[in-house]
Amino acid sequence: MAKTVLVIDDDRDIREVAKASLELVGGFIVIVAESGIRGVAVAQEAKPDAIILDLMMPDLDGQQTLSQLKRLPETASIPVIMLTAKVQADKPDFVSNGAAGLLVKPFDPMQLPDQVCGILGWSAAGKDVGRNVSAKE
Amino acid sequence: MSAPKNDDIRSALERVWQNSRPEAISRFATLKRFAEKLRSGTCDDVSRDGALLAAHRLSGSLGMFGFNEASSCAAKIEALLSDGPTPDGEVMVSLVERLRMLLEETQTSSGEPERHDS
Repeated sequence: MAKTVLVIDDDRDIREVAKASLELVGGFIVIVAESGIRGVAVAQEAKPDAIILDLMMPDLDGQQTLSQLKRLPETASIPVIMLTAKVQADKPDFVSNGAAGLLVKPFDPMQLPDQVCGILGWSAAGKDVGRNVSAKE
Repeated sequence: MSAPKNDDIRSALERVWQNSRPEAISRFATLKRFAEKLRSGTCDDVSRDGALLAAHRLSGSLGMFGFNEASSCAAKIEALLSDGPTPDGEVMVSLVERLRMLLEETQTSSGEPERHDS
């Protein structure tokens, strides 16, 4: 069964490209959320296998969202990969704050699924099923 | 990577880029207005914050669509804006002009984003 990934980013372009990449190239099931607040709610309900979380968002930013996700019993064990711009990548220590790893924007849509699998230690389990999977919204 | 999957993802990227191109142009306009304010000595925190967000978004999105040089230019603008409250006006104007030319190239290209280097 394909793994489910939740992408939380306020930038529509990032959400759409990540979704297309993870579904079409990686074969994952992808859910998206446009804010940290919405992302936490979706994560509690859907319990995805992993979360990709943008750092720079209005209202609840990535760090705050990560803290909430790690505090909630339903989401505490879900691995979270932070997504950030190159210029911010060396600032906070994401891993000591509970993140599984870091992805730097802009990412290559052809490589993103492999990067996610590499960070999470997943085999390419989601691959080659993407065409038969309809994403949850 | 099989050819059909390559085609699928390229079609999806092309579709997303066509939808987001007007927004990219709007974000560039924000940067241009900020550069003009900087040159005339009338920039303020609000316009600077708006320019920083616009540069951040452009840097992130243009690179995903394969417009690597434009993305890199936007990242330089973002770094310049992140460095301090009063960016170097000449450098800013020069980078914004460079970004304008690179964005024009995206409009005159075939419409299919270039391949990534990796």
